Amino acid sequence: MTTTGNSRGAQPALEVSGLRKTYGTQEVLRGVSLEARDHDVVAILGSSGSGKSTFLRCINLLETPSAGELRIRGELIGMTTRRGRPAPADPRQVDRIRARLAMVFQQFNLWQHMSVLQNVTAAQIHVLGRSREEAVEKAEAMLAKVGVADKRGHYPSQLSGGQQQRVAIARALAMDPEVMLFDEPTSALDPELVNEVLRVMRGLAEEGRTMLVVTHEIGFAREAADRVMFLHDGRVEEEGPPREVLAEPRSERFRQFLSGSLK
Amino acid sequence: MQPVIDYLPLLLQGLAVTLKLAVSTAVLGLVLGLGLALAKISGRGWLARPAFWATDFLRGIPEFLVLLVIYFGGTQVLAQVFGPGAPEVSPFLAGLLALGLIFGAYASETFRAAFLSVPKGQVEAGRAYGFSRWQCFRHIQLPQIWRIAIPGLGNLWQGAVKDTALVSIIGLEDVMRKSQQAAQSTREPFTFYLVAALMFLVITLISMAVIARAEKRAGRGMAEAG
Ligand SMILES: Nc1ncnc2c1ncn2[C@@H]1O[C@H](COP(=O)(O)OP(=O)(O)O)[C@@H](O)[C@H]1O
Ligand SMILES: [Mg+2]
Repeated sequence: MTTTGNSRGAQPALEVSGLRKTYGTQEVLRGVSLEARDHDVVAILGSSGSGKSTFLRCINLLETPSAGELRIRGELIGMTTRRGRPAPADPRQVDRIRARLAMVFQQFNLWQHMSVLQNVTAAQIHVLGRSREEAVEKAEAMLAKVGVADKRGHYPSQLSGGQQQRVAIARALAMDPEVMLFDEPTSALDPELVNEVLRVMRGLAEEGRTMLVVTHEIGFAREAADRVMFLHDGRVEEEGPPREVLAEPRSERFRQFLSGSLK
Repeated sequence: MQPVIDYLPLLLQGLAVTLKLAVSTAVLGLVLGLGLALAKISGRGWLARPAFWATDFLRGIPEFLVLLVIYFGGTQVLAQVFGPGAPEVSPFLAGLLALGLIFGAYASETFRAAFLSVPKGQVEAGRAYGFSRWQCFRHIQLPQIWRIAIPGLGNLWQGAVKDTALVSIIGLEDVMRKSQQAAQSTREPFTFYLVAALMFLVITLISMAVIARAEKRAGRGMAEAG
C-alpha cells in the first residue's frame, strides 16, 4: 500500500535548508534545515511558541518563508519579491506542491458543509482531477483504513474529535502525498480519544509513509519516529535518533523540556 | 365576481411585470451585493472604502427617493448629454436600477457578515490541499456563506417584491397599477385592491416555502453543530 514508489527514491522527498521566517521584527525561525527521505518519520518537539507550526506552515507555503530553500523531490520552490516582500514566484507551482504535501491540523479543519465522504473526495476531484468514481473508491479505502468507513454519510459536526481527526487523516492519505505534515494532531482531543488517532499514525509510520509530526506525545516520538528534532526559539537545538536523544539529551533545554513533559 | 374575471387577464399581465421586476432586482442585487462584499473584505482600502460609502449612502436615503432620482434625474442627464430626442429611462429600468442598488447594498452586509463567520481554518485547509483561491471561494466559502446568508437574503427578497409596488407610481404597468386602473373604471376599489393584496400574499407565501427549503438544504450537517 505504500505510495512512494522505488523509482522516486533517488531524490529526498523533502529538503529544507536555512529556513527563516520573520513577523515584523520578530524572527520566529532562524535558519532551520531538514531533510526527509522516503519512509522517514520525523517527530518535531518544542515548547509552545518555539516555531513548530510556523515551520510546517512554511513547508507547504501557508506562510511564505523570509529566506531559505525548499525542495520537494528535488523541485525547488521558486521565490521572488513582490512589493518588497518575499512571495512564491508561481502560484500554480505552489498549488501543485501543496497537493503533494498533505497537512493534518490540530483543529481538524474538516469542511463543515461536506459529508465525510465529500471531505475526502473534494481535493482528489478538484485538485488532482480524478474522476468521481475513482475518488470515491479511494476515499472509501482510506476511510476504512482509519476505521471510520461507517461514517461516510455523516457530517463532521456529528463526529467525535477522534473520529474527525481520523477523517482528516483519510483526507490527507487520499491525496497520495509525498510527505504528510501533522501539526499537533492530538492536542485538541479529549485524553481518551488520543490513542485512537495515535494508533492510526503508528500504522502509517510502520507502512513507510514519510511524515513530519509536530507532537507533544513523547511516547509516539520514541516508538514511531526515526528522528527527533527539538526546536527552541526558532532553531534546531537538538536532533537525532529518538533512542539516543530522548534517553540522553545533550542540550540542557531539551532535558528540561523532556522532564517537563514526562510529568 | 364578474368584474374580477373580466379584469383578470389584465391583472395577470401586471403580475408578470411585477415578478419580472422582482426577479431581475434580486439577480442584480445578489451580484452587486456579492461584489460589494468582496470589495469590503478585500483588505484593500481603495476598494473597501468606496464600497462602504456606497452601502451607507444607499441604506441611508428613502427607496422612493432613489427611484425618483434615477427615473427623473436619469432622463434629465440623458437629455443633457444627447440633446433633443434623447432616450428616456423607462419605469422598468429605473425600478430595476433603484431596487437592485438598494438590494445590493443590504445584501452586501448580509454577505459580509456571512463571509466573516466562516472559520479561517476552513479556507486554510483548502489552500493546504492545493485549492486555488477561486476554488476555495467556490467550493468551501460560498456554500457556507449561503447557509448563513439565506435567511437575510430571503427577507430582502420579500422586501423587494413589495417594493415593486412603488414603481407603479412612476408608471410601471405592474399588478399595483393594473388593479388601480381596474378599481377606477369599475368603481370597486375594495375588490381590486384586495385581489392585488392576495396576489402579493401568494408570492410571499410561495417564497417563504422556497426559502425554508433552501435553508434546510444548505444547512445539511449543520443542525447538530455545537
Ligand atoms: N501570523 C503571525 N503573526 C505574528 N506572529 C506570529 C504569527 N504566527 C506565529 N507567530 C509567532 O511566532 C512564534 C511561533 O509560533 P508557532 O510557530 O505557532 O509556535 P508553536 O507551533 O511552536 O507553538 C510565536 O511567538 C507566535 O506568536
Ligand atoms: Mg503550534
